[in-house]
Amino acid sequence: MHEISIAESIVQIAEAKAREQNAQSIQIIKLRLGTFTTIVPEALQFAFEIARQDTLSCNAQLDIEIVPMTMRCVVCDATMQPVCGLCLFCEQCGFPLKIISGEELQVEYIEVDSEKEEAPWNRRQDEFRSRPMY
Amino acid sequence: MESTPGRISVQTHVLNANQQTAAANRERFATEGLLVMNLMSAPGAGKTTLLEATIKALQGQFQLAVIEGDLQTDLDAQRIEALGVRAYQITTGTVCHLDARMVARALDAFPISGLDLLVVENVGNLICPASFDLGEGLRVVVCSVAEGAEKPKKYPVMFNKANVVLINKIDLAAASGADLNELMTNVRDVNPDATIFALSSRTGEGMGAWIHWLQQAVELRAVPVMAGMSSRRLGPAL
Repeated sequence: MHEISIAESIVQIAEAKAREQNAQSIQIIKLRLGTFTTIVPEALQFAFEIARQDTLSCNAQLDIEIVPMTMRCVVCDATMQPVCGLCLFCEQCGFPLKIISGEELQVEYIEVDSEKEEAPWNRRQDEFRSRPMY
Repeated sequence: MESTPGRISVQTHVLNANQQTAAANRERFATEGLLVMNLMSAPGAGKTTLLEATIKALQGQFQLAVIEGDLQTDLDAQRIEALGVRAYQITTGTVCHLDARMVARALDAFPISGLDLLVVENVGNLICPASFDLGEGLRVVVCSVAEGAEKPKKYPVMFNKANVVLINKIDLAAASGADLNELMTNVRDVNPDATIFALSSRTGEGMGAWIHWLQQAVELRAVPVMAGMSSRRLGPAL
């Protein structure tokens, strides 16, 4: 169950980013998860529900994007996906394959609520920026 | 680019903190000038027995030490110390793998200066330890024939990340009905670059080639590049 360690890391990364941006709570954590990792999405969701307690993510949803495993032949450039049981040799020419996706394990973005009134100077800047140009 | 209100780009690898600690460990090992081996396998594949046989073969030639990782007990550390080699036991409690921070903490209590080779015997597990870099220079996975020939296909990440795969307990191949060739083929399928040795740490069969390879690795402080790798199933020469 190393998903617990993984979930704790996800919550910590989100927490640090949210605090850096003065956010009050985290609504969504977007994760890219490759199929060639040792992490099971269902187990990770379960672990996340435990790890998020008493953090800014306590009501957050963990949005997992599954990235399928893809390999490319180093010689003939053919790309393929594992069918049943991994074989890192090209079906076409027999040379070794390079893994080009499936090892992703990355927090892409968070979506936050900033309930606190924004500083007026920030708002004013935005207003100026959004004025049409003539 | 991000127009959704409240969306903040993060783009951080989940294991970033572990990777940073692993990098610091790696730097420390480089400064001390030793080779560090992360030894991994399923429980019962024979890691510790293999390690004992390896230590006996290298003792007197190199300065060795071992960090043992287990959920409970210091039985493995005792076995290593019985050979006259320093050992440090990390008990993880319930954690199913070692991580870079646990190793860093162990290094604070366990001096490594003057060593040629430090072996970190990971928690017996074919899944979780694969994801956690400890800062090692050499990853060795042990798989015993009794586990069944299909194990590399079932746990591809672990086998894919190994520099060396040791197929252990070949003396039991006939008794366990395992097909050694099929096991070798399956290792090769998930890791075309691995260096594979078939051996039995109990009878000593095949140990010579592994010890010779490891001696080279310790002298180089790196993974030796073998000629003729990935030769199986290769097409015509380019």
